[in-house]
Amino acid sequence: MFRRRFSLGWTLSVWGTVIVILGWSLFPIYWMLVTSLKTNMDVFKVPPDFWPLKPTLENYTALTTGISPIGRFFFNSLITALLTVLITIVLATLAGYALSRLKFRFRDQILVSVLVTQMFPLVVMLAPLYLLYVKAHLLNTYTGMVIAFTSFALPFGIWMIKGFIDSVPVEIEQAAMVDGCSRLKAMWTVVLPLTIPGIVATGIFAFLDAWNNLLFPLTLTNDIMMKTLPAGMVLAFTGQFKHDWSGMMAASFITTLPVLILFVLLQRYLVEGLTGGAVKG
Amino acid sequence: MVNKKIGKELNEEEGKRGWLRLPLPFLLVFPAIFVLSIVILYPLISSSFLSLFHYELTKPNEIEFNLLTNYKNMLHDDTFWLAFKNTLIFTGVSVVVSLVIGLIGAIAIDQLPERFAGLRGVVLVPWIIPGVVVGFLFMLIFDVEVGIANVILKHAGIIKEFLPWLMDEHLAMIAVIVANIWNQVPFYILMFTAGLKAIPMDVKEAAIVEGASRWQEFIHVTLPYLRGILVITSLLMVIRNFNNFPIIYTMTGGGPVFSTTTLVIYIYRLAFEQFNLGYASAVGIVWCAVLLIVSMIYVKMLYKQVHG
Repeated sequence: MFRRRFSLGWTLSVWGTVIVILGWSLFPIYWMLVTSLKTNMDVFKVPPDFWPLKPTLENYTALTTGISPIGRFFFNSLITALLTVLITIVLATLAGYALSRLKFRFRDQILVSVLVTQMFPLVVMLAPLYLLYVKAHLLNTYTGMVIAFTSFALPFGIWMIKGFIDSVPVEIEQAAMVDGCSRLKAMWTVVLPLTIPGIVATGIFAFLDAWNNLLFPLTLTNDIMMKTLPAGMVLAFTGQFKHDWSGMMAASFITTLPVLILFVLLQRYLVEGLTGGAVKG
Repeated sequence: MVNKKIGKELNEEEGKRGWLRLPLPFLLVFPAIFVLSIVILYPLISSSFLSLFHYELTKPNEIEFNLLTNYKNMLHDDTFWLAFKNTLIFTGVSVVVSLVIGLIGAIAIDQLPERFAGLRGVVLVPWIIPGVVVGFLFMLIFDVEVGIANVILKHAGIIKEFLPWLMDEHLAMIAVIVANIWNQVPFYILMFTAGLKAIPMDVKEAAIVEGASRWQEFIHVTLPYLRGILVITSLLMVIRNFNNFPIIYTMTGGGPVFSTTTLVIYIYRLAFEQFNLGYASAVGIVWCAVLLIVSMIYVKMLYKQVHG
């Protein structure tokens, strides 16, 4: 393989760029953590301490004793996100398989419509959806929220899983079917195991979508006990507690931690899933 | 496309055998379509109807069909046009700046020796941070009293006095755009890294052997290969940014005085704070029409990308 000759200037500029980008990416997160460990008095120090001189966990303990039920928000977020993952994976896999392997009328039209639904602004759907939810008694329910989250995660999931199934050679399946497998059995035992990275990536996306979504829980719940973390936090930290910076950052950190852990554990699948789908189309 | 062809052969074979003419495709696709219909299709159709009515949620007895009055009112609604302008500024600046940073970042990271590959993952982190948290975080960073942005800028000699970023009509937009760029640059880096990986080694080698400078290699090899993914990524991000809600909503709520009100924020306020569902729907429908045009271009480009 041909390589360019080593050049100091180039190496320095590459590393310089990488370090600037790393700093720019990570500093705000570091700052969130540092601020969450300060007392509110210390937050107002000018110039600020760049690391917590007297770190305290009182902001975190205050979250459990404060007026806003952050623990409950956390639970709501977790349960709706996990259910969304489950349902999205099942629906996206079934549809993705059909759209990849079966020939039927309107297939291309369905594929394009699915792609386009992803682009419509959520906010336009909200008023009619709200009215529908009132009629169907879905306001303030996990069911209502999970349906909304799922529909938001589905289009991308369908496309991603379709892309992955496209890349599994069709001969493998044919072989299984010649051996007497039914189509669904061939799909379950032969194709799906090879699609795991795509399925996991779809799951992570569905989780992130549900966990991060603000609009749905903000509008489709009005009972504070049914809010998820994002909506609950907006409620908790925008009124009279607007300047509880360290409490706000503690809540933010708690909200970020699960997605951060998920990301670290499953990063490989996420990157593979996204770029695999994107580059292959 | 190869797979399409194989899929077709498989299906023809099935046709001959006469099995699986059953509504299996329907059974597999229907559940997904059903959920999408409840949350997206039905509300979209319903919105187009609502947009023709005077309908305030607080006055359910005064619902009145008014044909195109909502749309006519929009033409004279200064806030609507301001929101439109703000959306274009927010989206345009975010996409262009993120694209440049993302491209530079992807190329730099791509040059690192393999043992530093883990850093690729680290730069992706801002992208998974929930929008509300991004909003809160940058609210703290840009705060006039405690904000670190002021401290850093003052030390660097760029500003003389601490600036009230989020309370100033001209500065607030800058602050929300910075937060947004921070959040989304990793996505561009990810996409461009994938694009760079897809450039065939021999093409790069040929350029090096023929003595192309790095700049020439970038212009004549890298860019042409990345063109597809550049276009797709930016169109996708134009659509995403058009719809961005949590960052702006938490940081400024659209203020001060509508200076960061984008169309999404405006529609949300119309519908859920003023309860003016009819007018909100009309603005939403116009919005969808604009987005549909962008989406069409996106779908077309994607199709071209996939099918060559």
